[in-house]
Amino acid sequence: MTISSYIFVFAQVHEEFRIPELLSVSELYNISLTFPGGDSTYADVSTPFMIFGLECEEHAHILARRCILVKSIHELYATGKTYDEIHEQNKASKHLWEKYIQDTSFKFKVEAYNHSIPQRRQKEVVVAFSYMGWLGKIDMKNPEVTLYCFEEYRDKRGSSASLRHRHEGDGDFIQVYFGRLVAEGTARHLVKTFDVKKRSYYGNTSMEAEISLLMANQTLASPGKLIYDPFVGTGSMAHTTAHFGAFVYGSDIDGRQIRGKDNTPGIMRAASQYGVSERIIDLCTFDLTKNPWRCGNLFDAILTDPPYGVRAGAKRLGRKNESWRPTEKFLANRLEGEPYVPPTKPYELSALATDLVLYARYALKPGGRLVFFLPTVTEEYEELDLQTMLCEGMEVVANSLQNFGSWGRRLITIRKKTSQSFPPPTFDASARESLENAAASHTPAHKDFREKYFSGFKRDTPETSQPVS
Amino acid sequence: MVRLITHNLLACHAKGCTTNNFPLKLQDVVVEVREAEFNADFLRGFLPRIEWTALVNAAKELGDTSLPLEMPEMVDDEFLKNLHHVLLEIHVDEGAMVCPNCGHKYPIMNGIPNMLLAEHEIG
Repeated sequence: MTISSYIFVFAQVHEEFRIPELLSVSELYNISLTFPGGDSTYADVSTPFMIFGLECEEHAHILARRCILVKSIHELYATGKTYDEIHEQNKASKHLWEKYIQDTSFKFKVEAYNHSIPQRRQKEVVVAFSYMGWLGKIDMKNPEVTLYCFEEYRDKRGSSASLRHRHEGDGDFIQVYFGRLVAEGTARHLVKTFDVKKRSYYGNTSMEAEISLLMANQTLASPGKLIYDPFVGTGSMAHTTAHFGAFVYGSDIDGRQIRGKDNTPGIMRAASQYGVSERIIDLCTFDLTKNPWRCGNLFDAILTDPPYGVRAGAKRLGRKNESWRPTEKFLANRLEGEPYVPPTKPYELSALATDLVLYARYALKPGGRLVFFLPTVTEEYEELDLQTMLCEGMEVVANSLQNFGSWGRRLITIRKKTSQSFPPPTFDASARESLENAAASHTPAHKDFREKYFSGFKRDTPETSQPVS
Repeated sequence: MVRLITHNLLACHAKGCTTNNFPLKLQDVVVEVREAEFNADFLRGFLPRIEWTALVNAAKELGDTSLPLEMPEMVDDEFLKNLHHVLLEIHVDEGAMVCPNCGHKYPIMNGIPNMLLAEHEIG
């Protein structure tokens, strides 16, 4: 099979999520995506332009329809540091475009990244391509073919930004890309569709739309799949995964989040707004650590944003003071007819993360994915942190940071690589301690995240705690 | 909500309640039928997970007798249509699910089952 090169233009947001999303969507649709240099580890995501190999144009259409971060995909005719290089390559690529010479309507666009090209020079650029000799009519509204020429400039923000003339440094680009538009990214508009502010029901912990969509793509959500969110809250990711066709289960220890104030549960009201209510299979109130699921090997993916204690603390059933038991008098004093609310105790984040992976190993089908956010302290984070939560049969396939400065959250994608069955986890300390993983003695940066957050991420080393004289 | 697919997956999980804790008995139920999206692949994939007798009995209790008593070896379109209806289109919106063993009552309100355990029921 011949592989052709395509220019991908990406939105310059959530850069670390870009490659994982591309790989996930490629895996879902069985698309073979070739990286320049053959390896994803050298991919540079600091620029919006990247070149990938695809087996056919249809694959570009699929990726542009599903990837949230793809703005457009173009067949590559030429790329280089100077226009001489561009024209030389473009002439060598004639076999790719000669079929359009005779009678294809077209338009030509010249754009720049980190820069604005004066119209006069845009025209010059277009004229310089006239050797292509296209005879079809120029159609600015509905052309059959759109040719794009992108000039990429260095980021000029900083020093004299406000004094700079808008065209200053024109022509001082670092790279030029030239090709034919194949597909505009149509998934990006979903970011607006799922905008939390326009949702009929949301809470203060609702996940923003773009991230909810990226998370859904990491699960490989598609029709016929069963996906579970054990900390469903107000259901942000339930809606996006259902949008991609999957059936969704949600549970939460706090039913108030699921319901809101109306008779129809809030998550279902928002689901109706998005036309996905029949795909939300059920929403239940329970604590994952005391869950009623009858069996494992059930879900294609588990997708969740566990509460980590900043806006909402993680809770599990039990009492903080384990030795205290309610007295007869205490129980008798409960008001008749008042619904029973069992006591809860905090759930420390690193324990929760380890439990979640153990539970996923039990509850996922072989090949299924666990996708979740893990908050970390930026300065203290190490690769090894993730190893502390892994267990036999589970492997990390993606790890993307959303950086907030002194802290950040990592979207972790873990795959169940084993087809072996494992018993349900016990969700207690002894089970976590018996995990024989390589990093058992390592303390991850996300341990006691809540406490670290509220103390402003100050390390209590002797140097910093000493008063400044 | 509380579709029969969910009823077929939930067991009583109170402390020490490990035998005869499934299926939960449906009590004082308000049922509504709502159309759902048919997906043959999903149904075929889900078949091995079903506790068949529990599903047939629950459907019967709610007035649907379209399913055969034994899970058929040959899966045809007619069967999948019936299975689809029973698993995904019958919703219990109000009522309760009661453990046949320990008697714990899990109430269903506005379609949401409350499966939380009381303090004395957790390990």
